Amino acid sequence: MQGILSASRRTSLIAVVVITAVFLGFSLLTARDLGSFGITLISGLFQGMLLFLVASGLSIIFGLMDVLNFAQGTYFMIGAYIAYTIHHAPLLIQAVPDGNLRFVIAALGATAGGAVLGVILERGLLRPLYSRPIFQIVMTFGVATVLTEIAKYIWGTTGQTWREPFGFRQGVFEVFGQNFSTYRLFVIAIGLILIVAIALLLRRTRIGIIIRAGVEDSQMVEALGINVRMVFTLVFTLGCAIAAFGGAIAAPFLGATPSMGSEFLLASIAVVVLGGLGSYEGTAIGSLLVGLAVAAVAQFGATQGQFMSEFVKTFIPPTVWPALMPMALLIAILLVRPSGLFGKQE
Amino acid sequence: MHNWQRTLRTNWLYSLILIFLIAFPFLVGWLTDSSPFGARGRPVGQSTFWQALLIETFILAILAMSYNLMFGFTGVISFGHALFFGLGGYIMAIFLEKASLGPDSGMIVGLVAGLIITGILGFVIGLVSLRLRGVYFAMFTLAIAEMFYILFLRLPATGSEDGFSIAQVPEWLNPTRSRLSYYYVTLLLLVLTFLLLRRLISSPTGAVLLAIRENESRAQTIGYNTLTFKLLAITLAGMLAALAGMLSVILNKKVGPEMLAVSYTVDPLLMTIIGGIGTFSGPVIGAAGLHLSDRLLRDSQFTIGGTVVKIGESWPLILGISFIVVVLIFPHGVVGTWAQWRTRRQMKAASGAGRSAVPQPKAEGSSSTT
Repeated sequence: MQGILSASRRTSLIAVVVITAVFLGFSLLTARDLGSFGITLISGLFQGMLLFLVASGLSIIFGLMDVLNFAQGTYFMIGAYIAYTIHHAPLLIQAVPDGNLRFVIAALGATAGGAVLGVILERGLLRPLYSRPIFQIVMTFGVATVLTEIAKYIWGTTGQTWREPFGFRQGVFEVFGQNFSTYRLFVIAIGLILIVAIALLLRRTRIGIIIRAGVEDSQMVEALGINVRMVFTLVFTLGCAIAAFGGAIAAPFLGATPSMGSEFLLASIAVVVLGGLGSYEGTAIGSLLVGLAVAAVAQFGATQGQFMSEFVKTFIPPTVWPALMPMALLIAILLVRPSGLFGKQE
Repeated sequence: MHNWQRTLRTNWLYSLILIFLIAFPFLVGWLTDSSPFGARGRPVGQSTFWQALLIETFILAILAMSYNLMFGFTGVISFGHALFFGLGGYIMAIFLEKASLGPDSGMIVGLVAGLIITGILGFVIGLVSLRLRGVYFAMFTLAIAEMFYILFLRLPATGSEDGFSIAQVPEWLNPTRSRLSYYYVTLLLLVLTFLLLRRLISSPTGAVLLAIRENESRAQTIGYNTLTFKLLAITLAGMLAALAGMLSVILNKKVGPEMLAVSYTVDPLLMTIIGGIGTFSGPVIGAAGLHLSDRLLRDSQFTIGGTVVKIGESWPLILGISFIVVVLIFPHGVVGTWAQWRTRRQMKAASGAGRSAVPQPKAEGSSSTT
């Protein structure tokens, strides 16, 4: 396997390791104790995984089809709403009293809903636009607006908070003398499983090989007699389904609000770009990197912010630092590597 | 004399529209029996209401045209245009309100300083980022704009998320007391921007910009330093967007971080695409269509068989649907599709009705000369 690693890939991997080490060491040094470092680590991984749940679909869709899907965040939101509705449906609460099992059903339902909406969008509205890429922006933007309005119409404008308790959500475990909700661990685990599952799908299956070939050169794949349009539909559906699944997973924590889609959209586009367009592992690594950076900087600001100079405190208050991190990281990486960490060099 | 006549003949539609816009406040005043000057220094009546609406439209049209210079004519997609709009607004507001220079000199200093600062900023951003391609460049500009947005959202010195309001603007173009003169100032700036862009694009420099849009590596091979020309486009576009931001601040007498938000990038983008990418009138038509329909339909209501339907609540839904419909019906934006349809008809007429094989005009080529 060592031979496959090209020089630029190796540099990228080293860069990733170094950046991660810097942020981890940084938060370890500035932490009050091991417990608060544990909190930083877990919350960094948790936020990274939430980002990944939106970004992964965006990444494979953009990689294959060159469509920047502005509706991706909306599918995340719809997934959260569907999961919420299924989980809180009175009939289902009677039929399936076990909260964990009901949550699994809710997540599956959300995934299916996302897939159906994905097929409709790709087949019905995006297909005429493959020759006019600019107009895809308007189209996906319009679809995002329409779906958000429909969600507001069905579920109300104020948003829903998760009420029903269930096992994953309520449990607590202890690391370094600090209590953590098992739900965070659950999300991190789901994210890891998803990373591996999609990687296996792309690397080890026939359809995965076709998708990766399509990312390289979709016309050539078509010339080989493969129905690329069919693959496009499949990938788009898969991307939307993953986003909706992500929304379902995040809903017990974030609730379901009409604006949650657009809140995650920008950060997840940033993650896809800094990881490198068309590179799935770039997106996965980028998500975790951004999550860790946000958590580390939040902790640094909380413990060390008061020692900063007046100038810094006035013009870049420490409370802003975490929010700035995704974009700052994106700018820094693009300045050094113009096509992201693992993107194709031009 | 001959030259003048020819200009008038090729631009008769633009001239008519301009005359209409100049007469518009008086026309509305005459039709609705209201004074275009307002009453006792207050904006009262239909005429002043419509003036405000059109001033907003003019400002957005300048913003959309500045976006089109990069997006439509140079082929560079930026997602950070709101940065220039908002920053221009903030600089103007700071000089008007916080610099204690008095309204007149404050405005002039703010105008000059704002244009210089945003120009330099655009130049520097372009310098470090224009080697990035496509989506990478778009995201780089978005990242910078977002960082400014987040910063201004939490900056106590500029009023954090509320921003701050401006007590004094120069009396002669105060939008509450003498709105009519502000109307003509913004109209003049709109016309100047329009003429500037037309002059620029039809100049040799503009030809290089179009060449970069069509095929950048080919333009490079011919021997043009494409980076210089792209820098020119991004700098000029940034300054024009800043001008729009300043005008907006004077109109609203208020500045806030929402001027830096991504919606001020997305709006001109949508206006340009819907109106017609790489056309001169497209962004103006897009801005007018989107903004006027937004402001007029949002508050309107109608009755179907006894039930009152308020548009306001479902307006975003209508907007979203109309985006989808426009994209499917007008494949090159409103102006682009219109120009293509006209060219096709002319070619059909020229080649005779008997021949069915009509060569398809290239969309980009035909739209760029509209």
